[in-house]
Amino acid sequence: MAPREKSQPHSKPFKLRKSLATRKQEVAGIRAKFPNKVPVIIERYDKEKYLPPLDKTKFLVPHELTMTQFVTIIRNRMALLPSQAFYLLINNSGLASMSLTMAQVYKEHQDEDGFLYMTYASQEMFGR
Amino acid sequence: MNSVSPSAAQYVGGVMQDELVDRGRQQQPMERQGSFGVRPPQTQDASREAAGEPDEMDKLKAKLMSAWNNVKYGWTVKSKTSFNKMSPVTILGHSYLLNSEDEVERFRLAFVSRIWLTYRREFPQLEGSTWTTDCGWGCMLRSGQMLLAQGLLVHLMPRDWVWPESQQLTDVDFEVFRPRSPARAGGVPIPSFGSPRGSSTPEKSLPSSQAPRCSQKKRVHESTKDRQEHIHSRLVTWFGDQPPAPFGVHQLVDIGKGSGKKAGDWYGPSVVAHILRKAVDKTSVVTNLAVYVAQDCTVYKEDVVRLCDRSLNQTSSDPSSQDWKSVIILVPVRLGGEALNPSYIDCVKNFLKLDCCIGIIGGKPKHSLYFIGFQDEQLLYLDPHYCQPVVDVSQINFSLESFHCSSPKKMPFNRMDPSCTIGFYAKNKKDFESLCSAVSEALSSSKEKYPVFTFVEGHSQDYGLEGHSSNHSGPPAHILPPGRLGRSNNRRSSEEFVFL
Repeated sequence: MAPREKSQPHSKPFKLRKSLATRKQEVAGIRAKFPNKVPVIIERYDKEKYLPPLDKTKFLVPHELTMTQFVTIIRNRMALLPSQAFYLLINNSGLASMSLTMAQVYKEHQDEDGFLYMTYASQEMFGR
Repeated sequence: MNSVSPSAAQYVGGVMQDELVDRGRQQQPMERQGSFGVRPPQTQDASREAAGEPDEMDKLKAKLMSAWNNVKYGWTVKSKTSFNKMSPVTILGHSYLLNSEDEVERFRLAFVSRIWLTYRREFPQLEGSTWTTDCGWGCMLRSGQMLLAQGLLVHLMPRDWVWPESQQLTDVDFEVFRPRSPARAGGVPIPSFGSPRGSSTPEKSLPSSQAPRCSQKKRVHESTKDRQEHIHSRLVTWFGDQPPAPFGVHQLVDIGKGSGKKAGDWYGPSVVAHILRKAVDKTSVVTNLAVYVAQDCTVYKEDVVRLCDRSLNQTSSDPSSQDWKSVIILVPVRLGGEALNPSYIDCVKNFLKLDCCIGIIGGKPKHSLYFIGFQDEQLLYLDPHYCQPVVDVSQINFSLESFHCSSPKKMPFNRMDPSCTIGFYAKNKKDFESLCSAVSEALSSSKEKYPVFTFVEGHSQDYGLEGHSSNHSGPPAHILPPGRLGRSNNRRSSEEFVFL
């Protein structure tokens, strides 16, 4: 088994690092500058043991990009093999349909602060 | 842990054994005992030890581990599973309302006829390790084997096939109900019914039931039955715990090495799906069958077609082969973060109601199970966590008994681990098309806004990112080098947006 990752890039999730006001302000600023992109926060599932941490957490994603394409980009950033399990969970609970565009997902699931939160995880292992 | 106690079936009193004798398996009770002693050839053990690859410490550790696991998983905890008569029990596309003896009998046959693969001990050493058992680590591989075995059963046998020698159910409780008609009373053996919960033993109703069962069986055409039983036991040999068996633990562990796994590791439902795909690709014992594993929760229909449609594949010149290969479709998913997202429960139920579903491999957290059905809010499963001695499947007439489970177990949906792989089977092109529409319908019933996975027309490459600037083709790192895990991040740069 791969050892549990001890040193996270950040000890706290993004949402807990900044106040709601700060996050709202940040979104407002970036949305004004780039109205055709949605701000997305991607963080590793806190108990993930097999996937590497991402070097970045904040992404500005074109509206028309599909979930499939988005997942492919993130997979590539991590240099994963196609057969490696990789799931993006919206708000840490549901899977997003792969054919949706980012604009659609954003519209449905954006947080009150204006960010779209996603968690990535592989699969759990079983053995006892 | 709540281990299954199939042993109860074999050792409870003489009734069971008498019945076995009646069915022309005189050697059974003794032979079964005997098979406990079957061991891999000594010479092999000796030569491996002489090679002395792993150090003494590892060996000792492995020995202690397997000793502990033998105790842990050999322990039989008796706990009864209750089935009510109000809600139907579903097993892989069939529902049984357990309010009559006939239905209980059909349920019994449906359950016991599934192939059950469990931990085994004293099998030939796994190459490159000291392991001679998979107790305590191989449960996900066993669940995967059971899923594949079910796929092979529907591939090779008629849909309504049942094992004529299915054992009686043990450790079950059915609600009180009246026999449907006086003529039928006692006609079909069922375990504990007509009694307050837990006070009756399953064997009580047995003796009177022998005769009608036998006559019923004679109606089945003998040669068909023989042929089916021949296929049945051949199928089981493919899962034997010996290196040459195409779907045995030796072969699967070996294939898993390609995904960075080794003997003694824990496996996940997605890794196992790929191992099964490769195992079926590799073997020549099963022809006319392909395995497709979905990536990113998407089944690309044209990719399945390319896998199955032989007319697209010029290389196959075998005149006996059909135009269309049967296919097992495996979809690894993650139905939530920490715990199962409850809004997916209905969808999981809908899968298990489908005729084309061959089950789900997943489990409770860290504890793999093979889910084959449900009743109300509880999943019905086969549990690999029972350490049995190896059976030498190369012997003619080896005993099939330890490859079938007589005690159905249930667990609440909310304890299901979100990581799992869902399995489907389509015999031919028409089947595949109806599979797509049936599964799509099951998917759309999810309370969650989006389906668990989707069917998409076309090939996966049509949806990729060819030409996208972020698409790079650096060397993929399957197993993460330790150095990269600890890569430090510059706090400030990680706070900036990445533009896609």
